[in-house]
Amino acid sequence: MIRLNMHKILVNLLSLILLFSALNVSAQMRPNHEGYFDVRSATTILDQKNYLLDARLQLFLSDEALNALNSGVPLTIELNIEIIRSRRFLPDAKEDELQFQYELEYRPLSQRYIVKDVQGGTQDSYATLFSALNKLGKVQDLILTQNSSLDPQANYRFRLQALLSTKQYSAPLRMLFFWRNQWDLKSEWFEWQLKR
Amino acid sequence: MVRMATQKIRPLLYGMLGAFGVGLSFIALLMLSQVAKNSENFDQLANSILWVNILCLLVLMILLIGNLSKLYRDYRSHVPGSKLKARMVGMFVGLAIIPLLIVFYFSMQFINRGIDTWFNIEVEAGLDDALTLSRNALAIQMRDHLAATEQIAERLRLTDQRQFIYEIGSLRQEIGASELTLFGRNGRMIATNSDQTAGIAPKGLSDELLLQVRQNRPYVSLDPLSDGSYEIRTAVPLIEGRNLDVIGTIRSRFGVSQRIGRMVNSIDSSYTDYKKIVYLRAPLKRTFSLTLTVVLMISLLASIYGAFVLSRRLVSPIQNLVEGTRAVAKGDFDTQLPIPTGDEIGFLINSFNEMTRGLSLARKQASMSQNLVEAERANLEIILANLSTGVISLESNLKIRTVNKAAGAILNVDFNGRTGDLLSDVATGNSVLQELYDVVKRQLDQGVTIWQDQIVVHAVKGRRVLTCACTDLSSEAGEEVGFVVVFDDITLQLQSQRDAAWGEVARRLAHEIKNPLTPIQLSAERLRKKYLDTMSVEDGEILDRSTHIIVEQVAAMRDMVNAFSDYARAPDMDVSSFNIEDLINEVIDLYKEQAATINIQFNIEAPIDNLDADPGRIRQMMHNLIRNSIEAIDTRQNGFIKIDAKQLDIQQRKMIAIRVEDNGGGFKEESLGQIFDPYVTSKPKGTGLGLAIVKKLVEEHMGSIEAKNTKKQGALISILLPLNEKTREAIITNLQNHQDNGRGLA
Repeated sequence: MIRLNMHKILVNLLSLILLFSALNVSAQMRPNHEGYFDVRSATTILDQKNYLLDARLQLFLSDEALNALNSGVPLTIELNIEIIRSRRFLPDAKEDELQFQYELEYRPLSQRYIVKDVQGGTQDSYATLFSALNKLGKVQDLILTQNSSLDPQANYRFRLQALLSTKQYSAPLRMLFFWRNQWDLKSEWFEWQLKR
Repeated sequence: MVRMATQKIRPLLYGMLGAFGVGLSFIALLMLSQVAKNSENFDQLANSILWVNILCLLVLMILLIGNLSKLYRDYRSHVPGSKLKARMVGMFVGLAIIPLLIVFYFSMQFINRGIDTWFNIEVEAGLDDALTLSRNALAIQMRDHLAATEQIAERLRLTDQRQFIYEIGSLRQEIGASELTLFGRNGRMIATNSDQTAGIAPKGLSDELLLQVRQNRPYVSLDPLSDGSYEIRTAVPLIEGRNLDVIGTIRSRFGVSQRIGRMVNSIDSSYTDYKKIVYLRAPLKRTFSLTLTVVLMISLLASIYGAFVLSRRLVSPIQNLVEGTRAVAKGDFDTQLPIPTGDEIGFLINSFNEMTRGLSLARKQASMSQNLVEAERANLEIILANLSTGVISLESNLKIRTVNKAAGAILNVDFNGRTGDLLSDVATGNSVLQELYDVVKRQLDQGVTIWQDQIVVHAVKGRRVLTCACTDLSSEAGEEVGFVVVFDDITLQLQSQRDAAWGEVARRLAHEIKNPLTPIQLSAERLRKKYLDTMSVEDGEILDRSTHIIVEQVAAMRDMVNAFSDYARAPDMDVSSFNIEDLINEVIDLYKEQAATINIQFNIEAPIDNLDADPGRIRQMMHNLIRNSIEAIDTRQNGFIKIDAKQLDIQQRKMIAIRVEDNGGGFKEESLGQIFDPYVTSKPKGTGLGLAIVKKLVEEHMGSIEAKNTKKQGALISILLPLNEKTREAIITNLQNHQDNGRGLA
C-alpha cells in the first residue's frame, strides 16, 4: 500500500519537474540571434550653459525582440546616465541619474518604423528598421545638466548604459521575458571623465 | 540522554521547517498574485519570487523526503501506528491530489482554449483585407501626389529657378500640398511655401530620402504623425541638362483628410492590436501554464506535507496509547499520556491515565505495605538475634525458615547458610540438635503441634537441660504453614536452684543434726565409763565395741555435718594478692607424706602474676581437688596426680588455668553432667560434697569449672580463674549486661 502510494507520489513529482524543465528547455531552443547593445563612444560638450551628450550606440535587436516589434509590440529603448562626483577619501558620490526613453514601433499600414521620444513627445518615421536603429544610435545634443549645477572644483565622470526596457509590458509577458536571455538586452556601462 | 534530547528537538525542527515552508508558499503565491495585478513591481519582485519559489519547493521537498523516509523506516521496523499513519497519509494525499489534478487539467484546458477563442481566422482575414484596401486607397493618393510633384519638377526644369521662388506659393496651392520646398544640390533649402500661418521652418531632408533622390528615384511615403494624423511625403530630383544631373530636390507634403486618417488609424491600430494578441498568445499560455504548474506543485507538496502533519496529529495519540500500554505491560504504572483533544480519543486517553493512576496508587500502597512488613520482619529479626532464647521457625516439611544467633549458640551449631535446609540434615553430626530434632519430630508425628517440654541433651560439655516450646504457624486463611520452636538452656538456672536448695538443706542439717551429736557422744562415753568395769568381760567387750562404734559414727556424722556446714557457709571474701605457685606447692607438700605411693606432679609453664583471690578459699579448693584425686586413686598402682597451671589472655582478659588430672578411674559417664551436684560421687566413701564445694568456691571467684574423663581412665578438672580484680569486675559486668538484655528482650 505504502509502496504504491510512494511510487505514485514520486511519479507525480517527477512529471511536474519534467514539465517544468521541458517548458524552460523549449524556451531556450528557439531561433537564437541574441542581439546586443553597445555604447561605442560618448562625450559631453559644453554649450554655453548646458552640457550636451553626443554618443554612438550599436543597437542590434534579438530575434525575439524583432519578432515582437513586427507583431506590433512597441519596444522601449532606455538610456541611463549617471553623473558621479569623484572624491578622494570617500566613495564617489552619485550626483544625478538621468533616464531617456525612446519607443520604437512598427506601423503595418504605412509599413514604417516610428521612433518616438517619450519625454519630448516628438517622433520620426523610417522605412527600414536599420534606419530607425541608426537614428536611435546617433545621440546628439542631448541636454544632460546645467554647468552651474556642477561644482567647478570637483571632478566628475559620466556613465551611460543603453538597455531594452520591459517595464511597460503586462505581467504575463514580463514573467515570460524573465526567463528569456533575448529580452535581456543591456549594454555595459560606458564611463568618461568630464573635460572642462 | 543525547538521544532523548535529539528525539525531542527533531519534531520541533520539523515543525519549524514546515511552518517556514508553508509560510514561504503563501508568500510565493501572494507575490505571484501581486505581480499579476500590477507588473510595475515585477523587476523588484522577480528575483524574490524566483528564490522564494525555489526555496519553498526545496523546503517542502526536504520535509517530504524526511517524512517519507521516516515513515518508510517506521513501516519496516513495525513501529506502532506506522501502518495506520501510512494508510492515512495515502488517503489524504489521494484526497488532495485528485482534486488538484482535476482542477489543474481543467484550468489548463480553459487557459489554452480560452486564449485560442480570442482568435478567429475570419477576423484575421478581414483585418488583412482592410489593411490591403487601405494601403491601396492611400497608394492611389500617394501616386497622384507624386505625379503632381513630378509635374512641378518638370516645369521647374524648363523655367528659371528664381521664377520658381515667386511662383512656389501658387504651385503649392495648385497641387494641393500643405508644404512645398525646394532644396539645392547640397541639400540646402532654397525656397519653401507652407499653408501654416506661423512661420515654422520645415525639417531638412532625411537620410533615406536623400539617398533615394540621389539615385534619381522619386520618393513617396505615408508618415504617421504624433497627433494621430497621416501625411504623404513626396520628393523628386531636379534634373538639368543632357547629362541628367541632379541639381536639387523638390519635396512636397500632403495632408491626409481627417476622416480618412481616423479610418486608417482605426484599421492600423486594430490590425496591430490583433497581431500583438496573436504574438502574445503563446507567451500568455506558457506563462499561465507555468504559473499554474508552480502553484500546483506548491499546493501539491504542501498538501502532501499537510497530509503528514494531519496523520501525525491523528496517529500520535494512538501511538502514545500503544507506548503507554507497553509501558504498563512492563510494569511502569506512572505513565501519563498527554490528552490531545476533547474527542473520543481524548476520552480514551483520559481513561488510560486514570487507569494507570489507579494502578500506580495500588502499587504504591502495596509497596508501602511490603515495606512495613519488611520493617516488621527486620525488627523481628533484630529481636530474635538479640534474644538469649533460641528460636527456630520451620516450614511444614521441617525445613529451616529462620533461626536466630542464640539458637546456634545454645545448640553449638553454625546455622549460617543453612536456611532452607531440612532440620534433620543440619542435625546430622550434632548430638544436641539431633536430640532436639528427635523430640520435635516425635511430637509432630503424634500430631501435637503445640507443646512445651523440658528435655535433657548431652553436649560435649556435659548434660544440658533445655526448656522447649513449639507452636504452629497458621496463615490468615487458617492454613498451617510451619512451626516455631523456642528453647532455652536452663542448666545453669537449675544448677543455681539446686545449689541454693542444697545450701538450705546443709544449713538445716548442720543445725538439726550437729546439736544432738555431742549428747549422743557424751552419753555413749558415760555409758562405757560407768558400766564397762561392772560388766563381765564378754558384756564389757560388747559395750566397749558398741560405744566405740557410737562414738566413731558420731565423729563421722560430725565430719559430715562440718562438711555440710562448709558447703553452706558463705563468709565474706578476703581477697589478697598471692603467688599461686607457692600456694599449690604448700598444699602438695601436705599430701606428699600422706600419699607417698602417689606421684604428685606440679608443672608451671611460665611465671604467673600474683593472683588476686581469697587464698583460704583457693587453698581449700586445691585441698579438695587433691584429696578427691587421692581418694579416687585409692590403692591403684602407679597412681599419679598431675597439676598444671598457666596464665592465659582470653578476650583481653587475664586468666589462670589450673588443670588437675589423675588416673583414678574417672567419673561415671551417666553422672558426668551432675558431678558438681552435692551427693553425687563415684567413690564408695565419698560424701559427694568435695567437687560441689570446689565449684562453689570457683564460682565465688567468678571462675568456671569443667570436668571430664581422660583417655587414661582418669578424671580431668579444668578451672579458669580471673587473675585480678579488674578481670573479675569485667566478667561481672558482662554477666549482668547479658542477664539484663536477656530479661529485657524476653
